[in-house]
Amino acid sequence: MKRIAGRTLYTLLVLFLASVAVFYAIRLSGGDATAARLVASATAEDREAFRELLGLNEPIHQQYFTYMGRLLSGDLGVSLTNSSDIFKMLTFHGRNSLILGVTAFTLVFAVGIPLGILAARKRNTWVDGAVMTFSIGGMAVPNFWLALLAIWLFASVWGLLPSAGCCSPRQLIMPAFVLALEGIALTVRMTRSAMLENLESDHVRTLRAGGLSEARVVNKHVLRASFIPIISLMGLRIGQIVGYALVVETIFGWPGLGQVLVNAVLRRDYPVAQFFSLVLVAIVVAGNWAADIGYSLANPRLRKT
Amino acid sequence: MAQTVPSKIGSTQQARSPAETLLSIRNLRTAVSQGEDRFDIVRDLSLDIFPNEIVCLVGESGCGKSITALSVMRLLPTPPVRAIGGEIQFKENDLLTLSDKEMRKVRAEDIAMVFQDPLTSLDPVFSVGSVMTEVIKAHRDLDTNTARTMALEALQEVGLPDPEKRLDSYPHQMSGGMRQRVLIATALVLDPDLLIADEPTTALDVTVQAQILEMLLEEQRQRHMSILLITHDLAVVAGVADRVAVMYAGEIVEQAPVDELFEDPKHPYTQGLLHALPHISVKREKLIPIPGVVPPPQMMPPGCRFAPRCPYALSRCWQERPELEINAGRPLRCFNPQPFVA
Ligand SMILES: Nc1ncnc2c1ncn2[C@@H]1O[C@H](COP(=O)(O)OP(=O)(O)OP(=O)(O)O)[C@@H](O)[C@H]1O
Ligand code: SF4
Ligand SMILES: [Mg+2]
Repeated sequence: MKRIAGRTLYTLLVLFLASVAVFYAIRLSGGDATAARLVASATAEDREAFRELLGLNEPIHQQYFTYMGRLLSGDLGVSLTNSSDIFKMLTFHGRNSLILGVTAFTLVFAVGIPLGILAARKRNTWVDGAVMTFSIGGMAVPNFWLALLAIWLFASVWGLLPSAGCCSPRQLIMPAFVLALEGIALTVRMTRSAMLENLESDHVRTLRAGGLSEARVVNKHVLRASFIPIISLMGLRIGQIVGYALVVETIFGWPGLGQVLVNAVLRRDYPVAQFFSLVLVAIVVAGNWAADIGYSLANPRLRKT
Repeated sequence: MAQTVPSKIGSTQQARSPAETLLSIRNLRTAVSQGEDRFDIVRDLSLDIFPNEIVCLVGESGCGKSITALSVMRLLPTPPVRAIGGEIQFKENDLLTLSDKEMRKVRAEDIAMVFQDPLTSLDPVFSVGSVMTEVIKAHRDLDTNTARTMALEALQEVGLPDPEKRLDSYPHQMSGGMRQRVLIATALVLDPDLLIADEPTTALDVTVQAQILEMLLEEQRQRHMSILLITHDLAVVAGVADRVAVMYAGEIVEQAPVDELFEDPKHPYTQGLLHALPHISVKREKLIPIPGVVPPPQMMPPGCRFAPRCPYALSRCWQERPELEINAGRPLRCFNPQPFVA
C-alpha cells in the first residue's frame, strides 16, 4: 500500500514535470504560430496583434499557468487552422487511437506470451529456432518500412486488405500488427528467457521433488514467476506503442491522436500540438503507473500484507 | 558445533541382510555431455541405505555429492547431466527405469529431498501453505482443508514458530532457518521412508545449524525413516551419522560405521579430512589441510583419482585404478592404506 501511494505521488510529479517540459518544448521550438492562421501576406503588425491576442507575448511561465488553469477548468481551446473544438477532436481521434492502441497492446501480450512459452517449452528445437528468428526479425525491422511492405503485399499485390483508412476491423488489422510487432518480438524474448531461468531455478526443483507434474510446474509456477518481469515491462510497451502510433497512424491514414499531433506540428497549430502532446505524455506516464501497480500486486515481495 | 548435537558415536551397528535394504545404489554412473565428449561426474558408485538409519555422504566441494542425490531423485539437470549406468534399487523398483509418472509418485511420498540453499529453494510467488497443499494433493486424494491441516501439522512438528500464520506467509517474510524448516516440513509431510538432505545447514549460521540438525534427528527417530545426509562438515557427521560414505572425485573411497571411521580412518583422503578437522587434531599445533583441490570431471587422472594429492601414492597408483574392495571389514578404494596418525 505504501509503495503504491508512493508510486502514485511520484507519477503525479512526473506528470507535472512532463507537462512543463512539453509546454516549453512546444513554445520554444521556433516556428511562427501566426503562420498557422494568418495568410502569407499578413503584415508584421497583424502578426504582432495576433500574438498579443493569444497571449504569446507574456512571460512563458505565466503562459504555462494560464494554459494549465484553462485546461483544468475544461477549456481546451480551438485549433488555429480550422477553429475546430479541441475537445471534440480529442473524443473523435482519441476513440480511434484507443481502438488501435488497445488492439496492438493486446496483441503484444496475447501473441508474445504464448509464443515465448512455446519457445521455452520446445527449447533448442526447430520450433524454438523459428520463434526466435521471428523475434529477432521483429526487433530489427523498422516499423515504417514494415508498414510500407505490408501495404504493398497485402493491399497492392494480394488485395487482401484495404491499404488505409478507418475504422473497420479489416482496416484495423495491418496498423495494429505493425504497431504491435516490435512489442511482440520483445515479449517473446522476455517470456522465453524468464521461463527458462525459472525452469532451472532451485524453487522449481523443490516443486519437482515434491512430485508435482511437469505440466503443473510449468503452467502454474514457472509461468507465474515469469509474469513478474513481463508485467514490469508493460509500461515500456505502452510508451513504445504511443511513440510508434505517430508513424503508423500517419502511414495508414488512421485518424488517431498520433496523426492529429503530426499534422498539428507540421502546421504549427500550437494549441492542438501542445494539448495532444500532453495527452500522449499523460497516457505513457499513466501506463507506467498502472504497470508498476500491477507489478507490485503480482510480486509478493512488494505486496505488503 | 559438534558438541551441541547429541552424539551418536558409539551406537552399535548390527549386521544387516540385503533383503532389508531400503535403497541400494549399484554401480551408478552419471555423466555430463559437452558437445561430443562425455565426462563422468559420478563413477561406479554403490551405496546401501537400510531402514531407520542415518548415512552421511561426505566429501569436499565438487566431488559429486549433489549429483549423486539428484541422480536418485531423477532431478538431474538433463541435458547435459544424465545417469547413464547402474541401478538404483528402491524397494522393488529400479528408479532409473521407472516412467516419469511412476517416479513422480516416489518423490515426496517415498523419497523426499531437502536442498542446499533454503534462500532460493522456496517458490517466491506462492504462500508456504499453498505449495505444501499442492504437494500433498499431488499424491493424495484429499480436499484442500484436510491437506492444509496436514501441512499445518508438519510445520508444527519441525518447530516453526507461529505455524498457523506461516501457512499464509511468503518466503521473503522468513529467515533462512525458518525457510529451511518449511522445506523440511514440505519434505516430511507425506511421511517418506527416506529423506535426502543435501547440506541442509550449510547456508545457515551456527546456532541455527545445530537446532535444525537436532530437529532432523528427532524426526528421524519418531518416524523411523532413513536419512541420507550430505555434508562436507565432519563435525556434523560425528554428531548424527550411523554410517559414513566418504566420496572423492565422483567415487566412494571408504565406507564404515561412524565410530570406526573416526577411530581408524583407512583411506588417505579420509585421513586428510580428519587432519583438517579441529576436534580430532587437538594434539597437533595446527590443522593440516589437504593440498590441492578436487579435479573437475574433465580432468580426472587416469589411475587413482586421489593420487595427485596423496602422500602415500605409489607408481602403481598413477596407472591403475583401485577398486572398492573389502579391507579389514570395510569397503575401501586404495592400494596402499597406512595406519592413521592423529
Ligand atoms: N549442470 C552441470 N553441468 C556440468 N557439470 C556439472 C553440473 N552440475 C555439477 N557439475 C559438476 O559435477 C561435479 C560435482 O558437482 P556436485 O554439485 O555434485 O558437487 P558437490 O559434491 O555437491 O559439491 P558442493 O559441496 O559444492 O555442493 C562438479 O565438478 C561440477 O562442476
Ligand atoms: S590408491 Fe594410491 S594414490 Fe590412491 S589413495 Fe591409495 S595410496 Fe593414495
Ligand atoms: Mg552440492
